[in-house]
Amino acid sequence: MNNQLTMSSGKRAHIMRNILKNKWLYLMISPGLLYILIYKYIPMYGLIISFQNYKSYQGILGSEWVGFEHFERLFGSPDFWMIFSNTIILFALQLLIFFPIPIILALMLNELRSEKYKRTVQTLIYLPHFMSWVIVVSISFVIFTVDGGIFNSLLELLGFEKINFLLKEEWFRPMYILQVIWREAGWGTIIFLAAIASVDPQLYEAAKMDGAGRIRQMVSITLPAIKSVIIVLLILKIGDVLELGFEHVYLLLNSTNRQVAEIFDTYVYVTGIHQGQLSYSTAVGFFKGFVGLVLVIGANWLAKKHGEDGIY
Amino acid sequence: MVGDKSWSGRIFNGVNVLLLGIIGLVTVLPFIHVFGSSFATAGEIASKKFLLIPTEFTLDAYRFIFSTSTLTRSMLVSIGVTAFGTIWSMFISVLTAYGLSRKDLMGRNWIMFLFVFTMLFNGGMIPTFLAVKETGLLDSYLALIIPVSINVFNMIILKTFFQGLPGALEESAKMDGCNDFGILFRIIIPCSLPAIATISLFYAVTYWNTYMHAILYLSDAAKWPAQVLLRQIIVLASGLSYDNSVYTDVPPPSQAVKMAVIVVATLPVLLVYPFLQKHFAKGALLGSVKA
Amino acid sequence: MKRKVAMGMLMALAVLASACSNGSGNASTGGKENGGSEGTGGQSAPAKISIMTPLHMAETPDPKIEQLIEEKLNVDLDIQWIPASTFPDRMSAAFATGSLTDIVNISITGANREAIRDGQFWDISAYIDQYENLKKLNPEVLNNTKVDGKLYALYQGRPLSRQGIIYRQDWAKQLGLSDPQNLDELYTMLEKFTIEDPDQNGQKDTFGLAERGDLVSGAFKTIASWNGTPNEWGVMDGKLAPAFMFPEYKETMEFFKKLRANGYINSDFPVTSKTEQQNLIMNSKAGAYIGCMCDVQQLYTGLAQLQPDAQLEVFNQVKGPSGKFTVFSGPGFNHPYLFPKSAIKTEEELKQVLAFMDGMMSPDIANMLYWGIENEHYTVVDGKAVPVKEQAKIDRDVKPYNTIEVGDSATNSRLEGKYDYTPMQKAQELFVDNEAFVVPDPTLMLDSDTFTKHKDRLAQIITDATYNYMLGEMDEAGFNKAVERWKSEGGMQMIDEFNAAYEQNK
Repeated sequence: MNNQLTMSSGKRAHIMRNILKNKWLYLMISPGLLYILIYKYIPMYGLIISFQNYKSYQGILGSEWVGFEHFERLFGSPDFWMIFSNTIILFALQLLIFFPIPIILALMLNELRSEKYKRTVQTLIYLPHFMSWVIVVSISFVIFTVDGGIFNSLLELLGFEKINFLLKEEWFRPMYILQVIWREAGWGTIIFLAAIASVDPQLYEAAKMDGAGRIRQMVSITLPAIKSVIIVLLILKIGDVLELGFEHVYLLLNSTNRQVAEIFDTYVYVTGIHQGQLSYSTAVGFFKGFVGLVLVIGANWLAKKHGEDGIY
Repeated sequence: MVGDKSWSGRIFNGVNVLLLGIIGLVTVLPFIHVFGSSFATAGEIASKKFLLIPTEFTLDAYRFIFSTSTLTRSMLVSIGVTAFGTIWSMFISVLTAYGLSRKDLMGRNWIMFLFVFTMLFNGGMIPTFLAVKETGLLDSYLALIIPVSINVFNMIILKTFFQGLPGALEESAKMDGCNDFGILFRIIIPCSLPAIATISLFYAVTYWNTYMHAILYLSDAAKWPAQVLLRQIIVLASGLSYDNSVYTDVPPPSQAVKMAVIVVATLPVLLVYPFLQKHFAKGALLGSVKA
Repeated sequence: MKRKVAMGMLMALAVLASACSNGSGNASTGGKENGGSEGTGGQSAPAKISIMTPLHMAETPDPKIEQLIEEKLNVDLDIQWIPASTFPDRMSAAFATGSLTDIVNISITGANREAIRDGQFWDISAYIDQYENLKKLNPEVLNNTKVDGKLYALYQGRPLSRQGIIYRQDWAKQLGLSDPQNLDELYTMLEKFTIEDPDQNGQKDTFGLAERGDLVSGAFKTIASWNGTPNEWGVMDGKLAPAFMFPEYKETMEFFKKLRANGYINSDFPVTSKTEQQNLIMNSKAGAYIGCMCDVQQLYTGLAQLQPDAQLEVFNQVKGPSGKFTVFSGPGFNHPYLFPKSAIKTEEELKQVLAFMDGMMSPDIANMLYWGIENEHYTVVDGKAVPVKEQAKIDRDVKPYNTIEVGDSATNSRLEGKYDYTPMQKAQELFVDNEAFVVPDPTLMLDSDTFTKHKDRLAQIITDATYNYMLGEMDEAGFNKAVERWKSEGGMQMIDEFNAAYEQNK
C-alpha cells in the first residue's frame, strides 16, 4: 500500500518535472489545443442527433430520442452492401492506382537535369488541381460523349466502334480514377518533392563516389529518405477510406451506373439532407468516422510495429 | 556525373524527359482549351470547331466579369483572407507541429490522437455555426480564418518533416543556451523551408478556395470573397440545377464567362507559385547548416 | 461554466489573431436587430423588414431598386441574397440557429411542412383580407399552398404551363413540314430532321431532338403529358395511382426508346446538361427542343451567331392519340413566402410585415421588381413593357429582384411584356393558351407522411428504371420489378395515404 503511494507520488513528481522542463513546448501547442477544443470538440455534441429524430426548430434538447433507429435503417437498408462494396472498390483504386503516382512523378521530376524544364513541368501538372470537379466532369463529357465527342470521333475515324463511356456502368470506375489522377496527381507531387528537397546532398555525393547509378541512388537514398512522409500520407489516406469526393462522384452518378457508383455520401445526399433528415446523415457520418478511426488505429499500429513513427 | 554519360543513363534521361513532357501536355491541354475559350464568342464555343485557339478573339467575357466592381472588390477580400489566413495558420500549425514533434514531450501521443480524432468526426454544420456565433465571429472576416486555423493533415505533415531533422541540430542549439522557441525559430524553421513552403501553399489554396464558410458566416454579400462569385458563375453556367422546383427566367452566364472565371480564379495562384517554388529546392541549406 | 472558460480563452485567441493579421477583419459583432434607425426623414421611423431569398445570378444586384422600395414603402429593408446552390444548407443553418428573417422564401414540402405543422410559422388566414392588394391574390393558388386547410404563405405567381416545342422552322419548311399537330407528326419531324438532311449540306450530321438528363423539365414529362399521362398521379379505377403505372407512361418510354435506337435524339441524353443540350440547337446539330418555350430567346441568340438566317418557331398544341391536347401544369406558384415566428414575435410585427408585402404588390413596385425602373430598364409601348436592349444591365440591376415579387401580373397589375423577337412574343401567348388544357397534379393539396419523408428516395427508383428502359438496358419485366420495389419500400403506403386523403377531400 504504502509502497504504491510513494511510487505514484514519485511518478507524479516525475510528470511535474517533465512538464516544467518542457513548459515552452506545452505553451506552443496550447493555441492549437484550444482551437480544436472550441471549434472541433465542443461542436461534437452535434453527433447526438444521430440518436434522435432531429428537427431544426426543436433543437437538440427538444428533439425526440430514437436510439439506434437510424443505424438500424442504414445497416438494414437493402442497398447497404452494394454501397459498402462500391466504396471499398473506389477506395482500393485510389490506394493502389492513384496513391503511388505522385511518388513516381516526384522521383521522375527529381531526375530531371534541366532546372527550367523541371519547373515548367511542375507548374503545368499543378494546374488541374485548380479546376473544380464541375469543370473536370464537363470537360470529360465533351471529350467522351458519343454525340460528337472528340474521343469517339477519333475512334470512328480509325474505324473502331463508338464506345458509350458515359452510360455504361463498366466505364464508371475507369473514368473516376482517371479524373482523380488527372486532377490530383501533379498536385500530390508537392509534398514528395519537398521531402526530396530535404535530403542531404552529401549523401548523393558519397553514393556517386561509390559508383552508384541513378536508379541505385533513387532506391537507396531518395526513397528511404522520403519513406516516413510516404507512410504518414498512407495512414492518412487509409483514414479517409470513406471520403471519396462527394461532389465528384455525385456529378458522375446517373441512372445507369448507380449500381457501381453509389457511395455513402451520395446515398445520404438523396435520403438525408435533401429531405431534411439531418439525423440520418449524421448517423452515416458517425459510421464513416468510426470505420476511419479503426483503420487509422490499425495502420498506425502496423507502422509502429515496423519501427516507423506513425502519425501519433 | 558518372551515371549521365553511360548509355543506360542517357536512355533513362531521354525517356524521363519525354514522359514528363507528355504528362505536362496532357494536363495543360484542357487548361489551354479553357483559356482559349475564355476569349471566344458564344457561337464558336457552341460550334465546338476549335480545340485550343479560337478564330475570333473577343474580350467580352472579361469585360463582363469586370464590368462591376464586385469581382475586383471580392478579389481584394480573397487576397487579404488568403494572406492573413495563411500566416496565421502557419504560425499556429508550426508551433503545434513542433511541440508535438519532440519525443520527450509527455502525453504527446495522446494529444496527437486528439488532433487525429477531429479529422474523422465532426459535429456537423449547425453546431459549428453555433460555435462561430458564440465566439462572436459572425459577420467578421475572422470567421473565415479562426474556425479553420489548423488543418490537421497539414500539421501532421509539418510534424513529420520536423521529426526527420537530425536530432544533433537541436542538441547543439541547446548547448548554445536556446530555449524551445529559440530552437524552433533559429534552427528548425530555416532548415525546413521546403516543408514550410509546401504547407503554406496548401493553406493558401484552401483559403483562396473558401466559399461555403463565407456564405454561412457572412450575411453581408459585400464581404464575400471572390470564390463565392466565381463558383456561382460556374455552377450556373454548367446548367446544374440544384433546385428543380424553382423556375427562373435568368439565362445562365455564357460559356466564355465560365472559362474566364476559371482563368481568373487560377491566375493568382499561378503568379504566386514561382516565388514559392524557389524554396522547394532550398533543402541544400540543411547541408550547409550541418557543415 | 466550461463554456465560459472556453469563451474567455477564445477571446484571447481572437485577440491574438487580430494582432497577427491586423486589419484583416473589422469584426462587426452587432446583430441586425440593434442597428441604428436612421429614418428617411419621413413621418414615422421606417419598419425594419428582412428577407432571405435565393440568388440565381452571379452577383448581388445593384441596390438602387432596394433603395427605391425603402423610400416608397417607408421601410428599412434588409435583403439577404443567398447563392441558389447553397440555399438549402444556408436555410437549415438559419433555421437551427434561430436566425431566420421576417420573410423566408422556401418550399412547403418535406421537412419545412413538418415545421409548418409544428407551428413555426404564422397562420395568416385571418389577416389577408384586411389588405387591399393581398386580397387580390388568386384564391385557387392560395389554396394550393395551404397546409391542413390553413394559410401560411403568400406566393409568387407563375404561368401554369410554359411547356411546348421549339423547332427549326427553316428546316421544317425545307422538308415540307409544319407545326407537329400530334405525336405521330412529331415523330415524323424528328425522323426527317435526322435522315433527310435538313441543312442541305449533303452530310448526315443532324438529328431530331436535343434532350437533357431531366425527366421533369426536359422533354420527357411534356411528351408524356401530350400522350395523356397524368401529372405525377392520376385516377385509375376510381383510385389515385402514380403516373408510371399508367400505360401512357410506358408508351412514352417506348417513344423515347425508339427515338434513341434510331438516332433521332442525342444518345447521351441522360447525362447531357442543359448547356450542352442548348449547344446542340445553337450549332445546328439538332432541330427540336422540348421544354420551356421561354428558352427560345436564348437559343436564338446563340444560333443566330453561327447561322444568321436560321429560324426558330414555338408551338404548344401537340395532341395525343386520343386527339385531345393536354399538358401538365405546375402549381401556379413559385417561392412561397413564409413568416417565421422566431423572427416575427408579435401580431403587431406580423401586420407590419404583411403591410409591407401588400405594398410590394402595388403596381409600381411590382413593375419595379419585375421590369426595373421605367426608361432605364424598360419603356412602355402600347401599355406593355419593352425591355431595353442592354440585357446585361437588366440581368444585373433587375433580375435578382424577380425572386421577391408578390403575386403575378394578373393580381398585382404588373405590366405585360412585349418582346421584339416574334417567337418569344408568341411563346408568351402560348403560355396563356396552355392554361385551358392543363392537367394538374391531384396530390398537390393532399398529404402523405411517406411522401413528405421519402419522396426523393422512392422517386429515384422509378427515375433509374425509366432511363434504363429508354436506353434498352431494362425490359418491361424489369421495369415492373422496379415498380414492385417502389411499392414495397414505401410506395404502397404512399398510395394508401394519398387515397385516404383523396377520399376525405372529395
